[in-house]
Amino acid sequence: MSRTPRKRKRTRQARSRATPAYRKNVRQADDILAKEGVDIRPDNWQQLALDWFVPDEPERGELARYIADHEPQLGVAWAREVLRLEVFFQAKDYSQVIAHYERALSRYPRCALVEMWVADQFFRHQGDFWRARRMYRYAIEHLPDQGKPYYELGFMSYLLGDFSGALGWFHQAAGRVSEDDVEIAARIYYNRGIVRVLAEGDREAAIADVEEALRRKPDYPQAQEALRGLRGKIRWVPW
Amino acid sequence: MVSDGPVLEVRHHWFPTRACGERSFLMNLEFSLNQRPEGDRPSLAEVVWSTGDVGQALSIVPPFMPRETRGKMRRLLQPWPSGRVSDAYSRSGGILNLFTPPWGEADDEVWAGMLSAWQAETFAGDHARQEALRALEQQWNATPHPFFAGLTPSQVMVGGGPREAGLAGEFLTQLARMYEGRPFESEGEALIKTLTLLRGWQSEPRRDGWTVRDIIVAERSALLARRARVLSSSR
Repeated sequence: MSRTPRKRKRTRQARSRATPAYRKNVRQADDILAKEGVDIRPDNWQQLALDWFVPDEPERGELARYIADHEPQLGVAWAREVLRLEVFFQAKDYSQVIAHYERALSRYPRCALVEMWVADQFFRHQGDFWRARRMYRYAIEHLPDQGKPYYELGFMSYLLGDFSGALGWFHQAAGRVSEDDVEIAARIYYNRGIVRVLAEGDREAAIADVEEALRRKPDYPQAQEALRGLRGKIRWVPW
Repeated sequence: MVSDGPVLEVRHHWFPTRACGERSFLMNLEFSLNQRPEGDRPSLAEVVWSTGDVGQALSIVPPFMPRETRGKMRRLLQPWPSGRVSDAYSRSGGILNLFTPPWGEADDEVWAGMLSAWQAETFAGDHARQEALRALEQQWNATPHPFFAGLTPSQVMVGGGPREAGLAGEFLTQLARMYEGRPFESEGEALIKTLTLLRGWQSEPRRDGWTVRDIIVAERSALLARRARVLSSSR
């Protein structure tokens, strides 16, 4: 008997957290989707979610598997929330990404892909390392072939001052990244190179890694500067 | 004539988040407990180690010290438990941990891993099981922890000494010079930039070849050794 009122109270509190700014941004996202001619229906919601959120493999296949596993709990309303999330990502409105994840998407079964991308906002925008860490670990558990969460945990370990831990994560990330993932691959090799010096003092290996980062992404000013530093006298102050 | 009375010292620092600023107060308080007054007199921490009497140590503190600060000092000076020093979670961890977002037992993957291994093990009896847990707690206390920037929980508990205090001041001055007034897109960005700067700074070799981190670890280890000596001689 006493459970129902508590539940109602929680729902009211959750609703009251939707600020006018949040609601306005959701309306704007809906306007953008309408202008794009997006009409989410029972016969196309899966396709739209895949086309908008993850147009490329292997993420597309991962999301398709998630949809297949949880189809009865998803549907048109879920797809709308995913498309709104994508609009917020494209607008680089990271506070809204977090707010939308908390308010709308956390009601559905956990999706490792969504967790992986939203974790970046908790980590890099909000500075909530521990929340992000749990989300990346969840992503690793469900998407073990993705290099990105390993890379992010490596970077987080570096920031926490755990250089040998960072190196372990970067090794695992490097083993999973493909030739096509130019941006993430370059970052993995660059950061692994830096941490190799800090954790092991292995300057030769560090130079090889930074060179690999530049092979993947020649226009990478931080890597160019680091390479000059590694070949000469190291200056660690990163400005 | 120059009075040797209390001197008001005003310092101006910049912090990426409010939590870091608040923790810096705790860090300085921890430094002050290990600071030896002029002459041969012991530090406040040493008074407690040798007498076990927090009240005696606090009686040395100037009477104008705010009650809240005195309360914090009292908590910091409490004798350590015989088992796991889980109070380390709520200490500052010094300059190496000043900017790490707050975390606690729920986030401690190291302790969780140790505990689940212990739970999975079979023991001859309850006594052996409890003995193993006690050993595990001591192991956690003395093992460098990845979330404490490689300090052991005991090194966190003992607090920093005068050399670390000087280094912390140096870093915070450098940080303010670099980032004060600079616009950041978010708190997260400011935090990450600060931590990147810190990790570079702590790894830079000094004139004697030691890095800042080496100096801090050595000083905290020396404080722990001194604590062990005083405790054993006072028994």
